[in-house]
Amino acid sequence: MSVNYNKNSPSIKTRYAKLHQKENKNYTPETLSLTSQLLSINPEFYTIWNYRRQILTEGIFPLKSATEVNDLITADLNLTMSALRQNPKVYWVWNHRRWCLEHVPENPGEDQSNWRKMSWVKELRVIESFLDADPRNFHAWNYRRYVLQSPYVDHTWEQELNYTTRKIESNFSNFSAWHQRSKVYTSLWERGINDEELKSIKNQEFNLIKQAIYTDPGDQSIWLYHRWLVGEGKDEELLRREIEMIEELLSIEPDRCLDTLIHYKTLLLRHRYSLKDRDECITLSSRLRQLDPFRDGRYQDIANELLSMPNN
Amino acid sequence: MKSNISTELLVDSHVKFIQSLGEDRDLTYHLTTHLRMNAVYWAVTALCIMGRKEALDREQMIDFVLSCWDDEAGGFGSHPGHDAHLLSTLSAIQILTIQDAVDRMDVPRVVKFISSLQTSSGTFAGDHYGETDTRFSYCAINALSLLDMKYLTPGTAVIDVDKVIDHISRCRNFDGGFGSGVGAESHAGQVWVCLAALSILGRLDIVDEKTLGWWLAERQLPNGGLNGRPEKLEDVCYSFWVLSSLSILRKLHWINRDALISFILSAQDPDDGGIADRPGDMCDVFHTLFGIAGLSLLGYPNLQDIDPVYCMPAKLIEKKGLKKTWLALPRHLS
Repeated sequence: MSVNYNKNSPSIKTRYAKLHQKENKNYTPETLSLTSQLLSINPEFYTIWNYRRQILTEGIFPLKSATEVNDLITADLNLTMSALRQNPKVYWVWNHRRWCLEHVPENPGEDQSNWRKMSWVKELRVIESFLDADPRNFHAWNYRRYVLQSPYVDHTWEQELNYTTRKIESNFSNFSAWHQRSKVYTSLWERGINDEELKSIKNQEFNLIKQAIYTDPGDQSIWLYHRWLVGEGKDEELLRREIEMIEELLSIEPDRCLDTLIHYKTLLLRHRYSLKDRDECITLSSRLRQLDPFRDGRYQDIANELLSMPNN
Repeated sequence: MKSNISTELLVDSHVKFIQSLGEDRDLTYHLTTHLRMNAVYWAVTALCIMGRKEALDREQMIDFVLSCWDDEAGGFGSHPGHDAHLLSTLSAIQILTIQDAVDRMDVPRVVKFISSLQTSSGTFAGDHYGETDTRFSYCAINALSLLDMKYLTPGTAVIDVDKVIDHISRCRNFDGGFGSGVGAESHAGQVWVCLAALSILGRLDIVDEKTLGWWLAERQLPNGGLNGRPEKLEDVCYSFWVLSSLSILRKLHWINRDALISFILSAQDPDDGGIADRPGDMCDVFHTLFGIAGLSLLGYPNLQDIDPVYCMPAKLIEKKGLKKTWLALPRHLS
């Protein structure tokens, strides 16, 4: 975290001492401004964020019109924005931003949800700018999922899938985007789609992942995702097709490919056991031990498991 | 960059580094008050692993912890005058347990504070302002079990244990890991808190050990260090979070011991003591603890055992009857 040492820092101790007014429940505009100063010096002072929310809800909002409350919330959204631009990984600031969104007042008059809807919809654009700056920031991804759950945000699963496709196409190693994709699909499958649709989606997905694998076969995230798509390998035809693809790749990046190849061949053994195929897996695992000595213990365990596999 | 890289653990320098932390009440001290209680826990735990617990004054430490009591909330804040939070409350309980002084705090009120933070979805908020995270579920389970297992046992439980387990299982991802909440990406720190909570609750059966073990083993990079997520930089703190997770799964032999030891040792400051996130960076007590704790799990010579579930001295946890089925690497002789 970076800290603003230059900005009024010599008096931080005095300012903090003044906040003992917190115990006296001093909820005035003056104490509010004191919290702004302290938070701009150090956005991790969680107690000061708490105090700020108390000042607003107990001392200030009750005296204001809905429009004024909305302006104050907008000011706090701006405050968290500048804090996040400097320190995009501070939990307390993201937390305060959520609080702001949840405290946007209802409009007086006809269009009841207008302010709220505007704030939440705007938030989706805001979060995309954070993910453009750092596509792996998990705070920003968590916040994105939070915003997408809002009833004010109309965003279909296809739109979210397209978003992750864009992220992945700009960098195949964006594991956060692959992860998000797995979540979009899981929720789609849980809602129920027919077998034909499922098959066509999975085939599209295999095409995308194949591109990724050919671009960087050394990236674990892609293999994790591939294994997830293959699952327990109940579809033998698919399993054989993917094994063939990996065997073609073997000459380029043997160690990563080998790991998954052994995994799939072991799944295949469960369909059709033969000593010859089992021994092939064991031979592959000793090759892997030589290629990747750091994880030797794991490959040894895999070989031992193959040796004790029941031959039914 | 420091030029001379150490090849052994500089125990005396680290003890001095830790002792010096509270001395200068400079600007940095005031800017880190939000972490002070955690820092004291990191410091005393690091000292315990090095067998130098007495290097910090016991009474002074207990007085500090008690001075952070937030009487309105019924929990501990990170510093006198700061609001109670689950993170600092767990650290307070851990410090008082290490110092055998739990009787000095108001246990029933703390239990009430912790149990009041469980939400309807089963997870925990860190305080009454509502931010939820699987870290906080772990804090609650760890703290309550340290105070008394009866708080988690059917019939006398003060929280809904089944709901905690259900929530953690919903935070599980396709890579076998766990995130900070439902839908969140796997991260080694979150994997550790979820595994440790499940271990305390005796529910490691819901873990996909092979997939997660693979994910964890792949955290080791060619320079020997561990990262916290795919395609990220190595950092000494993952030497604890990845290792403790592997240790809970009894798969510590799935990474290369010697390469990781060299990486941790190379992140020491040979002049002023302490360990940094990676070689050449500024040292802090957080990375000092997690580097030393990692070395202990790897069987580095002349260290005390650390319990990977609690990140506390193993002997103490065993004495309290809380030891689980984890496995560390055998300790090498010097």
